[in-house]
Amino acid sequence: MRSLWHILRLLVSAAPGAMARGAALTLAVLVMGAALLGLSGWFITATGIAGIAGIGIAFDVFRPSAGVRLLALGRATARYGERLLTHDATLRALATLRVDLLRRISVLDARALMRLRGETALTRIVSDVDALDGILLRLFLPVVAALVTHVLVFVALGALVGWTVAVLVVAIYLAGGTVVLWRLARRTLTPSGEEETRLQDLRRGTIDMIRDREALILSGQLPRREDALIALDAQARASARVLDRAERRAGQGLSLIVAMAIAAALVGGGWLVIHGTISPAVGAIGVFVALALSETLLPLRRGFAELGRMAGAAKRMDLPKAPSMAEGHAPAETASAVVLLLREGTISLDLRAGQAAALTGPSGAGKTTLLLRVARLLPTEGARIEILGSEVETWPEPDFRTAVAMVPQRSALIAGTLRDNLALAGEADDAAMWAALEAVDLALTVRDRGGLDLRLGEGGAGLSGGQARRVALARAILRRPRLLLLDEPTEGLDSATAGRVLNGLRNALPETAILAAIHRGADHPIFAERVEMYR
Amino acid sequence: MDTSEREDRAAQRKAARDRVVGPVAGPLRRAGLLSVASALIWPAQAACVAWVISGWVSGQADMTATVMAAALFLAGALLRALLDHRAGAILFDAAEQTVERERAALLRREARAPGPERSAAIAALLVQKLPALRPWITRYFVAMTKVSVVPPILLIVAFSQSWAVGLILLVAGPLIPVFMALVGMAAEDASRRHLDEISTMNDMLMDRVSAMQDIRLLGAVDRAVAGFDDRADALRIKTMAVLRIAFLSSTVLELFAALGVAMIAVFIGFSLLGEIGFGSWDAPITLGQGVFLLLIAPEFFQPLRELAAAWHDRAAGLSVVAELEALDAAPRAGMVGKGEARAPLPGALSIRLSGARVAMPALLLPDLTLEAGEAVVLTGPSGSGKTTTLAVLAGLVPLSEGCLEVCGASLSEQTADAWRARLAMIPQRPHFGSMTLRTFLDPRDSGADPWSALDLAHARGIVERLPDGLDTRLGETGGGVSGGEARRLMIARAVMAGGDLLLADEPTADLDADTARRVIDALQSLHRQGRAMIVATHDPALIAAMGRVVVMPR
Repeated sequence: MRSLWHILRLLVSAAPGAMARGAALTLAVLVMGAALLGLSGWFITATGIAGIAGIGIAFDVFRPSAGVRLLALGRATARYGERLLTHDATLRALATLRVDLLRRISVLDARALMRLRGETALTRIVSDVDALDGILLRLFLPVVAALVTHVLVFVALGALVGWTVAVLVVAIYLAGGTVVLWRLARRTLTPSGEEETRLQDLRRGTIDMIRDREALILSGQLPRREDALIALDAQARASARVLDRAERRAGQGLSLIVAMAIAAALVGGGWLVIHGTISPAVGAIGVFVALALSETLLPLRRGFAELGRMAGAAKRMDLPKAPSMAEGHAPAETASAVVLLLREGTISLDLRAGQAAALTGPSGAGKTTLLLRVARLLPTEGARIEILGSEVETWPEPDFRTAVAMVPQRSALIAGTLRDNLALAGEADDAAMWAALEAVDLALTVRDRGGLDLRLGEGGAGLSGGQARRVALARAILRRPRLLLLDEPTEGLDSATAGRVLNGLRNALPETAILAAIHRGADHPIFAERVEMYR
Repeated sequence: MDTSEREDRAAQRKAARDRVVGPVAGPLRRAGLLSVASALIWPAQAACVAWVISGWVSGQADMTATVMAAALFLAGALLRALLDHRAGAILFDAAEQTVERERAALLRREARAPGPERSAAIAALLVQKLPALRPWITRYFVAMTKVSVVPPILLIVAFSQSWAVGLILLVAGPLIPVFMALVGMAAEDASRRHLDEISTMNDMLMDRVSAMQDIRLLGAVDRAVAGFDDRADALRIKTMAVLRIAFLSSTVLELFAALGVAMIAVFIGFSLLGEIGFGSWDAPITLGQGVFLLLIAPEFFQPLRELAAAWHDRAAGLSVVAELEALDAAPRAGMVGKGEARAPLPGALSIRLSGARVAMPALLLPDLTLEAGEAVVLTGPSGSGKTTTLAVLAGLVPLSEGCLEVCGASLSEQTADAWRARLAMIPQRPHFGSMTLRTFLDPRDSGADPWSALDLAHARGIVERLPDGLDTRLGETGGGVSGGEARRLMIARAVMAGGDLLLADEPTADLDADTARRVIDALQSLHRQGRAMIVATHDPALIAAMGRVVVMPR
């Protein structure tokens, strides 16, 4: 629930202006609805009385009838504005939610980021964000508007009809509504969490079954796996059934509350009329207003039924807050001759500007882990790693990223143009981008495919593995780092291209110290030093 | 909308009717009747209220009468609530039946005969999209029934009281279909745009999260986030432009309803005052009739508003049905046999494949024979069908031509499961499901000790190095172990699976020479133990280590 509260605050702060205007119009719609029915009921009853008394001529019909028309028009207009403003505010809020999530994810370490790259983790994030999209439109705004409407109606009914009727109607609505909705939220909390877990299991299980199809068929396990998934579906649907029953019971409760409020207004108003305290026309107001107030209550059912799902999603999304990036100080001495000093186990490396070292060893020896530690994406765990004379941990993040660039083994491109991808490295003109593409031997390939405006699909789809790799390398060149870390830079390249790419890198960044984990091409002339890792 | 598109939509609706509505037509009708009955209780409740209020004026209603009327009103409400609850239960069952049926059909088909969609897309359809059928079934059809029954009945009731009020509603009547079409189209458009917007934003989010490590390493977090924000904003502006128009049409409906009710109120007021002398049948309209008409007028428009609200449920449901139909029609490669656990096929091990072709993908397969204990290399350029040949030998892909004999019997529906009990396979791309390594290594659930198999595959060290050992969950892409290690774990799994023939697909692809050597060693020690194997590869070192070479035909 606390996480839900955090998310709500974040969403509201995304567009407080639009949100406030939307809320005001939501309120206007409800209040005008109540006023319209109340006025109509009063008008008909009052004209009826006047007609019977034969004083029809003296009755001022024009102001009330104009009011009825005005309220009808005004309500429809306010409704239009409300829908526009609240949708706009929600879209802004959801963009903010996603941006905040991206920021929080951006500070996770390499292992956590790796886990998030899997299909199931990604779809989980997305389904959680989607679950939260109802907080504002179905929960927060209608609840606030309903509460305020009831306060206003209470005052108006008290002044016009009598406090007995006002207390009866508002108390039934508020107390009844609170009890029913509260019970709905509590009853759906556990089953909606269960349903979510089972559906995620079903999703993962289905993916596993299809991907592992051959092994399942070979081992004669396929029918059993299918049965297990069908049983899982039955469990998920059992939770859905519990949710549906709770929601329908709540619906039943809410409609009875509305009826009770109307009946109470009838009896309370009747009491006052029969005792001569108020006129029948005024007594009718209470009945009609009680009827109109159903619009404040009935739409809340869906929002409260989703509360459990929202709370679960909010909890999962409550990653630690992104620390402010400006902490720490840039190292005072950045002119140190040694760019990278590395002492870890048997490894002792002093890498100077313009030098390149190849990190070799069998797979599983920990080359990637070591590079990620140098790049500060994993904790150093006792290794002594200094960049330009300062321990890596003491660097402030922006300065560190300016000094050190890394191209990971499974580097990812983003959907968009080639230019968008290269621009991730920072502001650069086209000439610089072309020079970087030239250095990685890619300029010719992309020139007749649209050049920098070549469109890439999700995850860089449209380029071969080797081409995508070289785009990632070109991006690193544009950073002009003091230290460049490369994890298998030549994977997916034939040896001639690999040689050209390594030369191009060296020539494009003559002053940069390069440390490359590499199993093919470690004997390339640019590597003056070799560091061997063992298991 | 051009003709073909309209035909498409008509075909879509027909498919939807046959597939989703047909099987639950009975329950939908029952639920519709209950909902209509519930809606028609309202006029009785309205009459109670009208009677009491006019009684207050005429002095006929005392406290007892008022309480009695209130009690009747409440009783009506209770009845309505019960009817709605019951209708809801019937509708939920109908929806569940549909979701259950479609899910089971997908689960029973997609692994046996995979189609063109990726497994993640199938899982998304199964888990996320199929539930979109629920609101369509539970809301739209009932709303449709109510629209066709409730307004006409209320119209008759209104006419019976005052022809002018009936006329006001009647004028709105012919406009109803017009507005329905208008609102329907616009609402469909609006909801589609909204869904598009959400899915584009989600795709962008997934894309950025996948690339986050690179973004961070490039010091580009701020730039990437700002870029995301800009695109989200541009999308929002575009979406709002559409919504502005879409909401307008439903506002017209609301306006119409509100003005209709307001006109009735004003007309009744003037009639009661005696300023309007027309509109009623013989006697002038009474106060009770006036209040009654005012109360039932909004209910005349209510089903329409419900239908407008349910319209996007229909659009969402139709698009799910379209996806299901497309998936049904997709070409699929089947399998031979049922995939059940069986006793191994008896007889000495032998394979005879001759004159064989497969249809999907269209390929000519090599003639191939194998006896017990033999090691055969299958080689040829990539794309020539090595993987498919291995799949055919395991009965995972049916032949379209030619014959395959295993252990002297023809590979058929009857023999395939038993034949597979003698096989183990190492696929090219390791996939680790969400299970512990212990479970993963033991596909046939034998409960045997995995360490000897791990030793044979030179994989003991890999497991010992993992923090949780055999209880490690490796996750979908084998994160936590390198490519070569994953390959050796797959070999250990094949050893655990037992049998006397191993099929291996490019077991040394993408490995450095050293790691490839270890994998080849593992395969050789298996072969020395007497296991026959067929290895698809173009790695010269592996070809040299095996026996006979079979080249894929052109």
